[in-house]
Amino acid sequence: MNARPIPVLLTSLASAALLDGQGNLDLVQETRGTPVDWGGVYGQLVRLTGPWRLVLHVDGAAQGLPESRVDARVTDGRWVSHHRWDRLEIVQSVAAVMDPPGVLRTLRCTVTEGPPIALTVESSWSPFLLPVLVEGIRPIHFEVETRGTEWRVRQRGFGLAFRSTVPASQLLINRASWRGGQYAGRVEELRSEHEVRVAPGSPAEITFLVHGGLERDLGRSTNLESVLQDPARAGGASGVDDATWTGRTATLRFPNAPTLELAYSLARTALRRLYSAPGDGLAGLVAGYPWYSSIWCRDLAWMLPAVLWLGDFDWTERSLTSVFAFQSRSTLPILGGEPGELPMQISPGPIFFYGTSDTSLYYPGLVSRLVRHSGRRASVDLWIPAVQRVIDWGRARTDPETGLLRHGGEVETISAAAASLARIRYGIDAPDTTIWDSTDRRPHAVDIQALWYDALLAASGLVAESVPDSERAAYRSLADRVLDSIRRRYPWPEERYLYDSLGAQGPVRKVRPNALRAVSAGLLDPNVAHEVVRRAAEGDLTTPWGVRTLSDRDPTYDPQAYHDGQVWTIATSWAADAAYHVGEPELGYAYLETIARHLVDEGGFAHECYRGDRPEPFNSCFLLGFSVAPFLTSLFEQLWGLAVDAERRRLTVRPSFPAGWTEASIERLSLGHGTVDLKWTPARWTVRWTGTEPLTVGTTSGEVVVPPGESRTLERTVTAAAGSRPAEIS
Amino acid sequence: MTGHRFGAILSLLRQGLAVEVEFGSHSLEAMVWVAETVERSVYEPHSLCRTADGLRFVLNNPPLRTGAFSWVSLAVDGAVVPPERVWTRPGPGSPWKSLQGISIEHPFEVRPGERTEVVIRDPLPLGRPEVRIRIEFRSVAIPPLVWFEFSDSLGPETPG
Repeated sequence: MNARPIPVLLTSLASAALLDGQGNLDLVQETRGTPVDWGGVYGQLVRLTGPWRLVLHVDGAAQGLPESRVDARVTDGRWVSHHRWDRLEIVQSVAAVMDPPGVLRTLRCTVTEGPPIALTVESSWSPFLLPVLVEGIRPIHFEVETRGTEWRVRQRGFGLAFRSTVPASQLLINRASWRGGQYAGRVEELRSEHEVRVAPGSPAEITFLVHGGLERDLGRSTNLESVLQDPARAGGASGVDDATWTGRTATLRFPNAPTLELAYSLARTALRRLYSAPGDGLAGLVAGYPWYSSIWCRDLAWMLPAVLWLGDFDWTERSLTSVFAFQSRSTLPILGGEPGELPMQISPGPIFFYGTSDTSLYYPGLVSRLVRHSGRRASVDLWIPAVQRVIDWGRARTDPETGLLRHGGEVETISAAAASLARIRYGIDAPDTTIWDSTDRRPHAVDIQALWYDALLAASGLVAESVPDSERAAYRSLADRVLDSIRRRYPWPEERYLYDSLGAQGPVRKVRPNALRAVSAGLLDPNVAHEVVRRAAEGDLTTPWGVRTLSDRDPTYDPQAYHDGQVWTIATSWAADAAYHVGEPELGYAYLETIARHLVDEGGFAHECYRGDRPEPFNSCFLLGFSVAPFLTSLFEQLWGLAVDAERRRLTVRPSFPAGWTEASIERLSLGHGTVDLKWTPARWTVRWTGTEPLTVGTTSGEVVVPPGESRTLERTVTAAAGSRPAEIS
Repeated sequence: MTGHRFGAILSLLRQGLAVEVEFGSHSLEAMVWVAETVERSVYEPHSLCRTADGLRFVLNNPPLRTGAFSWVSLAVDGAVVPPERVWTRPGPGSPWKSLQGISIEHPFEVRPGERTEVVIRDPLPLGRPEVRIRIEFRSVAIPPLVWFEFSDSLGPETPG
């Protein structure tokens, strides 16, 4: 599985370049069963171009950049390749820039001896100009116009601009020569030719910039000229920002497990690639690359806990603000929205859609998490009404007898709303939209109930001073009913597992990893929870490369069905989490190692999913946020056993390190306004705290209060017979 | 205009107004851009025309979902056309393939921006001013059926 070329993903907060590392912006990826080229430039979550290729011409001979490539590397956020063709030495640099949102591409051409060379650089690409939320569409008709040395291309409200530091000597549309001006019609390809002279001691440099997204934002940047005049600085800016961000996040060291330590570092870097502030005041993380490069709020919800552990409270706050801003206040069948519902997806425009059963349910818990990590209450108080509306949305779809949340029919609502209006109609017959949204799990999937329970409890804690006691009691009472229903109705004794859902015809007998979410939420009797974890570890659900979405013993199992057989990395994280929860640290660690191997083998990315019958990515984004973020969260919460309470300035550490480990450490764990450094050995804890008030740290060796700016050590004597003996505080 | 259609339009107006009030006019505008682009980028407008033995039309893109499809079915005015009478090719010069030969091993493949010519070799009764075409696709990777439906008036006859 490691034979596939590793993609190169360059990002700024508002743009991305996708390439295969061979020389051009090409990136062919198997997509839904067929190869598709996802290479090109992305800006403001709009795919601006298809593959972007440069060809060199000298004296009638032509050479593509991939054919002349000598070597390449990523450095300071830029991809730099070295090419050699006859006497020409070429260094190419590709970088994503934020302002304007786009991609810079610079060629520096040199010769060391001989006569001057007349070099023509030919650039070609096809415009796309549609948000990535529509994965399978490339618009056909565009408006093209030249303005001085710039090309502008428009498609409805989306637009891009193409500039170069060497004006084009020749323009072509669809391979036919064009004198410039204005053109409207079908566009397959836009090509330009740029002539430079290269002589010994007189190198030539040409920089291209493609930028855009929303047409109304084109031309607003005041940065354009400086970006073109100093491409090295502009191109390196994202690298500088990344380094600054990384320097503020926690560093985890596992000297006894170098692969795990490397995987942590890779996953953190991968998560950073997904940060996005694409415009219109939006902030968040895109779901993945290449075809989920927009802000999916369910995926964001799985990423934000990791972002909090990394200490980026500001980004979490901005992300939550972005999502709550698009909470539906009324019934919008055309967008699948109901009052109180949070969006499935948001993009600049702004463009947003609703219609999932789970997205809204994550957010009350996320608000609670933000408070626990940061101690911040200002935004939280503003979000309380939104949290209440989420609960009202859930209550409107709750079974009055069981308290269970009812889901399904969300996409059908959209189709029905549009049915009698258009001459052209299209749709996907997806009857249900849980996290496994291509399969029908109606109407009471177990993980949705766990989320509903969590949302009710979180809301009850958050609204404490904002609503009457009776309302808060109603939240808790409903949570109790959900809990009771889960404990009484879902256990599946024959399988020692939980039913996947409860339907009108009775329980749905399918072994899926989703049951593990009820374990992690602490909803089950400990014996039942333990049995569920052991059952999930059997070979029909757990493979050496991760956890399947459905047991391979199920009659509907299909190894290449997205949610009915494929292995998903997020499901592997769920299994790790649940195993630690029931006190099976060896099993939990084995799952974490599986994900760590993927991260290392896949060059720092983690695929969305793999075939169910062999460890081969299939129909899989090469990077998905919810493949890397839950892994990071598990390292903090399960392996390290960390729990935070910034308002009470308290940190609890109950690690479950593998037997034989001799040391581990964390540097710069953010908590409220301070950071904590932790060092662990079997004989000693050392805690350092930078906050302004004392921090109470509870460990397996006892509790210690650490004054601001100081360190404390907890000694313990390890005896061979009796294990460890707590605790001396120095 | 039927009462149902009138009601649907009123509902749409109400929803549009709600979006504008809650999220601003830019939102409404941007949603329309996306909807219009999708509408106009899959079926090539006015490409539906009569041939000597049936119909032909052109798709310029996949039906929302890209990729490989193990099953494709086409219906004209609600009547499913036998798969051996529906033929497709990416463009001039490429070989025609019938829907009958499509399977998980030999899927029908479409990628963003790729053109597909479709020919239906099934005589259509004369006198119909407008025809409704529905195509259903089953992906090799994601189970739910994807469908695309359009209606258009028939253009002048072209060679089949």
